[in-house]
Amino acid sequence: MGTFALSEPVLLVLLSLAEQPRHGYSILKDVESMSGGRVLLSTGTLYGALQRLLDDGWIERVEEDNTPRDRRTYRLTSRGRRNLQMEIERMRQLTKVAALRMARKEA
Amino acid sequence: MVTLKVYCWLLCLYPGSYRGEFGEEMTSVFCDARSALPPALAVKISFYGREVGGLLSGALRAHFDRLFGPATPFRRFSMQPQFRFPRSTVFLMIVIFATVVLTIAKASSIGGDSTGSAVWPSLASVLVFMLLTMCTASAVVWWILHNLRRSGVHRLESVQSWKYSAESNGKS
Repeated sequence: MGTFALSEPVLLVLLSLAEQPRHGYSILKDVESMSGGRVLLSTGTLYGALQRLLDDGWIERVEEDNTPRDRRTYRLTSRGRRNLQMEIERMRQLTKVAALRMARKEA
Repeated sequence: MVTLKVYCWLLCLYPGSYRGEFGEEMTSVFCDARSALPPALAVKISFYGREVGGLLSGALRAHFDRLFGPATPFRRFSMQPQFRFPRSTVFLMIVIFATVVLTIAKASSIGGDSTGSAVWPSLASVLVFMLLTMCTASAVVWWILHNLRRSGVHRLESVQSWKYSAESNGKS
């Protein structure tokens, strides 16, 4: 299992795209909604993350002829989905350990 | 719109290739987000502050990537989660700044019409200017580093190590 965790904003971006392909503004609003308004991404931060995710092959652009250039859609690649799954598994194990420790402490 | 002009101006801080790829999209998303803002002034200030900080940190990161590649040691150093100014720094800077300004004002009032009054205004203005510049520069640097840390994109460099460790786990 990996030793490096994703930051919350990047994780939320990936989770947003895991559900369905989205364009930039849709990701922004979905991240805000998922985090209950706690994580508010700026466009600079969002596109910085998207660029890195594109470069690393975690996401890709959906090529559509009728899509305007300022409203391009992104989706998870199989690699991105696999890595996201690993991250979720890592978090699940961490939560399990945390719950056990807390239960032991309370007992 | 003034804010859109400022946004486009800040976008010019990015490398040309980055602007070509994402510029239109970023501007469009900014316009959408701006039009959906509630009328509350605090929300607007927070939004514009976040956008300016995000653009400055994003431009800095894009230039580092372009110049040194994604694995540059400086970039890694600047994105270390541990590398950040404590929040108390900002508070202390404001306190020091306020103290100095009050001291200068007090000294000016004591000086009155004596010969010192000709010297104080220029000295005071220089001091205030220097302090303002330092505070602004420090705040900008802090904001940039804070945003770099929050973006968390530096952790994506670890994708390969995940893969290898996952494979090794599978083999063992």
